[in-house]
Amino acid sequence: MEQLFFYIFALVAVVSAVLVVSVRNAVHSAFYLIICLLQVAALFILLRSPFLAAVQVFIYVGAVMVLFLFAVMVLDIGKEKTKEFIHSQWLPAVGVIIALFVMIGYMIKRGKLSASLGIYNEAALAKNTEVIGKTLFTQYIFPFEVVSLLLLVALIGAIVLVMKDKGRARKNNGAGS
Amino acid sequence: MMIPDISTVLEVVLIAVKVVVVTMILFGLPLPLTWLERKVAGHIQVRLGPWRVGPHGLLQPFADMIKLLMKEDIVPDRADKFLFTIAPLLAMVPAFAVFVAIPFGENIMLPVINKEVSLYIADMNVGILYILAISGLGIYGIILGGWASNSKYSLIGGLRSSAQMISYEISISFAAIGVVMLSNSLSLVEIVKSQGGSLLHWNFFYLPVGPVWCAIFIIGSLAEINRIPFDLPEDEGTLGAGFHTEYSGMKFALFMLAEYVAMVSVSVLTVILFFGGWNSPLPVPLPIPPIFWFVAKVVFFIYFFMWVRFTLPRYRYDQLMTIGWKILIPVSLVTILITGFMRI
Amino acid sequence: MSDKKGGIDILDLIKKVLFTDFVKGLRITLGYNVSKSITHRYPDEEKWIPYRRFRGVHTLNRDEHGRELCVACELCVKACPTSCITVVPMEDDTGRGIADRVAKIWKVNLVRCLYCGYCEDACPTRAVRLGREYELACADFKCTVRNREELLLPQPVPESIEGGLVAKAKFERSLSGIKVTADLSATKKRAW
Repeated sequence: MEQLFFYIFALVAVVSAVLVVSVRNAVHSAFYLIICLLQVAALFILLRSPFLAAVQVFIYVGAVMVLFLFAVMVLDIGKEKTKEFIHSQWLPAVGVIIALFVMIGYMIKRGKLSASLGIYNEAALAKNTEVIGKTLFTQYIFPFEVVSLLLLVALIGAIVLVMKDKGRARKNNGAGS
Repeated sequence: MMIPDISTVLEVVLIAVKVVVVTMILFGLPLPLTWLERKVAGHIQVRLGPWRVGPHGLLQPFADMIKLLMKEDIVPDRADKFLFTIAPLLAMVPAFAVFVAIPFGENIMLPVINKEVSLYIADMNVGILYILAISGLGIYGIILGGWASNSKYSLIGGLRSSAQMISYEISISFAAIGVVMLSNSLSLVEIVKSQGGSLLHWNFFYLPVGPVWCAIFIIGSLAEINRIPFDLPEDEGTLGAGFHTEYSGMKFALFMLAEYVAMVSVSVLTVILFFGGWNSPLPVPLPIPPIFWFVAKVVFFIYFFMWVRFTLPRYRYDQLMTIGWKILIPVSLVTILITGFMRI
Repeated sequence: MSDKKGGIDILDLIKKVLFTDFVKGLRITLGYNVSKSITHRYPDEEKWIPYRRFRGVHTLNRDEHGRELCVACELCVKACPTSCITVVPMEDDTGRGIADRVAKIWKVNLVRCLYCGYCEDACPTRAVRLGREYELACADFKCTVRNREELLLPQPVPESIEGGLVAKAKFERSLSGIKVTADLSATKKRAW
């Protein structure tokens, strides 16, 4: 039963991922990307990580993609459509893809891509959120803080960039009010 | 292939029955709600509201439904046909999917098969996160529908909607975090159970932060479901009808359906997160079923949202952004600090 | 927000935090919500009887002996700003009118008429008056022109009733059209 669902989700995810890069309309691409991300969220649930699934939907599908669409929607789709978009790079691209698949296949064959559950059995994983919270704030507190500091820097950086633009605009306009 | 035993089969059947019942109720709900909304609008404006179709206009929603079904289904020339068709569904499905995680009452015993049944479809470990995530998806129907219509008004409606949703989802999430801090759980059933007892155990009365969280949540939700005073995406005064300007017939009806179901879900969430769910406000000696309290509170909040709609004017777009970014988010940051100190 | 120089107005801030204005607004709308509606249930149950000053469809009047007051002087035709009245005079000494000149034709086109009342001002014998009938909707153009015979009929609302009332009414549909008949014995003052 679970395998059946896995194949359904995986198939839809792969198909929509291919469509993301192959359709010519940018808004359609974004739409397929949303479908792809939703399938990945479903796969997280199959992996007993409801928290990750919810966060995936919440942040990627719910917020990041909305911003994507916000930007893409105001593009002139008619112009983008007629442009050549593979740029005669398909030969190196196919080479890289084949190399990637070979590498992944090799890793799976060697068993490098699977990890044991460790101390977490099925029952412990039911309290998924608490487990993640505890590990994040004890074992991985340092990387966690580094990441939050990075985000803060990005936030301040964004504000500074906007402020600089605003000042210049005022200077260009002469003595603004 | 293992043979499932009788209790597993029963469990699956029960879940299926519950899903069907909830879906049917949700499909039926917009009928009385449109009637109620127009009645409330009428009486607040010292009119009567619908009156002529059936006693007190009670059959008006059916007349509307027939009208919407018979209307020509127009797809504008040069519209994106695929997204234009799929957008109403994208708006509707998340609105319904939210109700998977919502508990309506305590477990009850079914008399015939003698089995305890829970009044929710799934009690998720991440219930509140799931609801926030799924209800955020309803926006795609609006954005893509607005873009696909190939109309200026619709496009601007969609753009406004996406900006509005991003701004207000942050404060809603903060309010949800506040509730999680007060109730020590992400599961909605646990959140309701933690508010049991009397009125004073409700999260709303956890002074001084409870009312603040509640206000943030309600304001944010009003913006999230595009109701007045935050209905900028369908601003009749400046945008025609906003994102659904080009829609007609059944597709338009699906947008309306989604909007009403979203309003119900927001009322339900307010009740669950802040007003004790199905817990009775005061200990009453009478054997009143918990679901009665739940429904009564939800009806009150549905009325409240309609009441607000016909009280407040619409905000300007810059005011909307100011409220979201400069008031709600700083206030929620400060409140989260206070809540944290209080819960140590 | 009144003065930004004097720092933050504490009272104003408290008011904002407690949503005072919002609550006031809610209280007002709630008051209206539970108050009685002022809508007339026209045409199903009620009908509005206008005041005497109301300017509806024209009427032609008779004197107390039943003679037509109109002397077909055509002053109303001259006064009419939209030229909607047509009068054709004729000689008549059978005592139909108060003089020996009466109207052969007196018709008014109600679609052109703007109900200004100049015709009643111009009338030297007070024969033409604007009455209180206001239900003018009909299904074909024939009924937009009213003739002398129709206008001479007595008014559905007699002059003795002062008006400004809501009367009980009945909505009747038939093949010949729709009609709202008011029961003038059961009236009440309007609700506001």
